[in-house]
Order: sequence, then C-alpha cells, then structure tokens
Amino acid sequence: MRIQVNARNRAYQFEATPGEKILYAGLRAGTDLPYECGTGTCGTCKARLIEGKVADAWPDAPGKKYVKPAQGEFLMCQCAAEGDVTVEVASFVYAMDPGACQLAALSGRVGAVRPLTHDVTAIDVVLEAPVDFDAGQFMAVNAPGVPGMRGYSMVNFARQAKTLEFVIKRKPGGGFSEWLFSGKAAGAALELIGPLGKATFYPSLARNILCIAGGSGIAGMMSILARACQERYFEQYQGHVYFGVRTMRDAFYLDELSAFRAGFPDRLAVTIALSDESVPASAAAEHPLLRFERGFVHEVAKREMAGKYQNVRAYLAGPPPAVDAAIRVLLLEAKLTADNIRYDKFS
Amino acid sequence: MTKKLICRIAEIPANGMKECEAEGGLKLLVANSGSEYFAVQAICPHQDVALCEGLYDGAVLTCHQHLWQWDIRTGAPMGLAEAPLERYDVMVEGGAIYVGSQHALSVGELFTGIAEGTLAALTALAKREEYAEGNTLYKPGDPADDFFVLDAGRVEFQIGRDERTSPAGFMLKKGEVFGWAALLENQPTRIATARVLEKSALLRINGRQALKLLESDPASGYIVMRRLSALIARFLAAPGAR
Repeated sequence: MRIQVNARNRAYQFEATPGEKILYAGLRAGTDLPYECGTGTCGTCKARLIEGKVADAWPDAPGKKYVKPAQGEFLMCQCAAEGDVTVEVASFVYAMDPGACQLAALSGRVGAVRPLTHDVTAIDVVLEAPVDFDAGQFMAVNAPGVPGMRGYSMVNFARQAKTLEFVIKRKPGGGFSEWLFSGKAAGAALELIGPLGKATFYPSLARNILCIAGGSGIAGMMSILARACQERYFEQYQGHVYFGVRTMRDAFYLDELSAFRAGFPDRLAVTIALSDESVPASAAAEHPLLRFERGFVHEVAKREMAGKYQNVRAYLAGPPPAVDAAIRVLLLEAKLTADNIRYDKFS
Repeated sequence: MTKKLICRIAEIPANGMKECEAEGGLKLLVANSGSEYFAVQAICPHQDVALCEGLYDGAVLTCHQHLWQWDIRTGAPMGLAEAPLERYDVMVEGGAIYVGSQHALSVGELFTGIAEGTLAALTALAKREEYAEGNTLYKPGDPADDFFVLDAGRVEFQIGRDERTSPAGFMLKKGEVFGWAALLENQPTRIATARVLEKSALLRINGRQALKLLESDPASGYIVMRRLSALIARFLAAPGAR
C-alpha cells in the first residue's frame, strides 16, 4: 500500500505492509512523523484522512480523546491503511537523522523474569534477530490477548542487542502487567516495534547530564548510564542522577547504580529520594556509594542542583505529575533551555 | 477599533496569567508583566492545549505539553516553538482591562516585535483580498512581486508542472507568510503553484515597497530578515539538525 503524508512543509510517500500502522510504516521508511508514546495514549500522532480508508485497531485507545473522527482525524499509531491513502499532518515533518536507529517489527520470547520489588519486575526479552537502539529509547510491546501496545524503555545498552531488559510495574487492571504477573508470561512470544523515542543520549552530546526519574522511569536512565559508562563519558562530564521512590521497600537497581558510581566516583553522583519515609540508618551503610534524601525527587534535585546547571542536558521519566514538576523546576528555576529538557510523554 | 471588556486588573496575579473571556465569548490569556498587561490566544498554536495550564515567569510563557515558548510582550516564538502567538491590543482603564481587534499583520510570523510605526506603515501597504475555494493565486513562472499574509482560510502549494506535481506544504494559521520570494534578491519568479483550498482572506503586500520601508527602520528590518531566514531554514531543515 502506498501512503502519502502531506505535511506543512512538503509531502512524503512510503510503502506500508498489510496491517502495518501508518506511523510505524513512516518511521521505518525514515520519515520522522510526529509521535511521542507511539502506543495510543498521547494523541501526538494525530492526522487527517484526505483520501482512502484506514482501519482502527484499537478504537478505545485513550488517545482517541484528542481526535475528532467527524473531521476525518485518527491516530497514525493505531490505524493501518486499507489500500492507498493520503493523509494530512498539521506539522513540519523532516527526514530522520542519517544516524538514527531504524524502526523494525521484531519478534522475541520472554526470558528471565526477576522480581525487583513487591510490585516491580525486570524481564528479559530474547529477540529472534539483533537490533540497534539508542540509550533512552523504548519499544512498543504487544502481549498475546492484550489490546493495544505498551511502551517500555530498554534498561541495557548494546549495539546489535539480542536481549532487551525491561522494567514492568504491576498495575491492578493494567492489561500487560496483569498478564506478566499472571505466571503465563514465561517463554511467551512477544511482538515488538521499535526502537521509538527521542529522549536519547549520545556521547557526542558533550554536556553534563542530569537524570531525574520516578519509579519505573529509571529504566531508560539505566540505559543512558550504561552507555555513558561504556564510553567513559564521566571522565570528562558530570552526571547527576536522582531516583525517586516512596520507601526503601520500593527501591531497586541500587547495586547497579553503585557499580556505575564505583567506576567514576569523582564526576558521577547518585541520589535516592524517598518521598514517604525518613531515610533509614541502614540505607547508607548498605549502599555507601549512594546518597539518600527524604522528599519528592524533583524537590531533592532542586535543593542539590542549585548552582550546578551550567552546560546541563536533563532527562526526565516517571509518573506524569513527577515529570511535570521536574519540568517546572528546570525551566523556571534552573533556566534550562527547552531543547535541553528531554522526556517522552506517555499521557 | 472595537474594544471589549475582558477582565479586572485585580483578577490577574502580579507576573501571573489567567484565561479570561471577553464580551462576545472570545477567550484569551491575559498576562501581567511588571506594570503592563498582554493578551494572547488562549490555546497553544501547536495542539489543543490551554496555555493557562502552562508556565509563566512574568516574561516567557511556556506550554507545558511540548515546551513551546514565547515572549509575552511580542508573541514571538522562542526555542522549540514553531509558530508565534496571536496577540491582541490591550487598554487599561480604571481597573479594567479591554482588548482591541487584531490584525493579521501584527500576528504575522515575520513581524512580531517590530516597531509600532513600521508595523502601521506596513499595514497601510497591505491590500486585503478575499478568494473563493479553488482559486489559483500564482503558478511557476509568474512574477514574484508580492508576498501574502494569511488572515483566514487555507492555502496549499504544489511544485512541478502539468501531471508531475507534488504537494509542497500548506498554510492554515492566521499570520503565516507565503510568497516570500518577493522579499529576496534575484528571485523574480514563482517556483510553486499556490491554490486556495477554502474561502480565504489574504493580505497582499508588495515586496519592493516593504523592503524600502524596512530600510528606513533597520532595527525592524533586521528582525524581519532574521525571521525570514528562520522561516526559509524550516523548509530546508536538513537531517541532523536536532
């Protein structure tokens, strides 16, 4: 099927396979169509049908509240073309960077499953073919019998990765996490599409980095830190990591964060912010390379980062209220420019 | 100029903002900056997001969704923003704030922030024209004497000739400028077809007269040329620009 996208600046044409979502077909062809969550929630990939027919795979997607179907609007991440179509996107669209990792449809199986806390689990997905992604990117993952896809950030970082590690938080009523925690997941086949996401880190960035993450939002930061440590980035640049959880019982990856810090003790600092309890005396004793503070993660970061914002690129992830609060601090108090605040909106 | 009551001074916090509704139902964002008040469109020009939910520090307004930013005094885009804000004239009388009518040129992407006198002289050069759906404004090879500012409606561009044409973008926002070859040297003819897709109102301005006017106010001319180069770059943007 031939897809034509009329953008504000020019038109693009690309091929889609039967059933392939228009967004993914465009990204696969190297056309940087607008999107953020890529999984039916944020509404950013809204387009208008000019000619032809599209089929909506998930009519109840939460992002549908942003579209006006009566005016031909639809979500490109949820709709596949039925025959040749022409659609309109009300934004400027460019070709992707030549160095960007190519999106592809992937297949894999659930490998090791490791509980991290009482409600957070890490899973490995073993791919049939290796994939390249950038640190900070995510995959859209589809589980058998669960409608729609979910976005999960890679924790690890490797070129030609054969295994992807994800962090899944158990959400009562959340289709994917309920499936994962049901015990049926071991060895199950998964469909993945990606990599997706623009909150990426490259060593050529040449800036100090600030990571502020709440809960499972730490996943993408782990990938960023893994790449930065592999490339010995912290021999030259500072790294400030703030990881917010409710209590020590909710904290995870503390040994991995300690290991990152052990390699670069002078320029990499890692602070765990506990919002719902005072810091227990045992915390610092058990994790001597980490700092522990009481408070919401954006407040702890605000207190400690004052005066250290020169040449900083910030990465944010976590529950939307935490990300919004961090954005507020970084724009209004730290006076970072908007292009140095990177996050992918999932709502 | 029609003048409409929009709110009381007391409703707007110092260096703060509030979404207000004027007589007749027009919703605008009213912001205070020191001793002055400004009124701009209430909804982000990017997506349907209320700007009153964004961030404002008394000078710079930020939409919280995608961090587009604007100078509240001029509506001029800053940082990531790809479009200016529509700005309305504001009058303060006896504790009340009134908003005036608004002209496409004053919200034009090339002209936000230039001197008031120069803007008025440019406005005097502008001829307002209305077109029905399907009209062709120009085609390749036509002389590029005038440029256009969209007031209302929708204009589409095609490049190529005869059967071998390809869509080259479209304009749908009030204040968008096209046909800007008229402001460039050595670009005497059109290279695209411009077609009106729905009933549209345009301001037509002669390029040579506009340039002459800007020569007499180089500070404003510099702003216009900076914005024009940013506009052209947006169409040329190469991969890797991020």
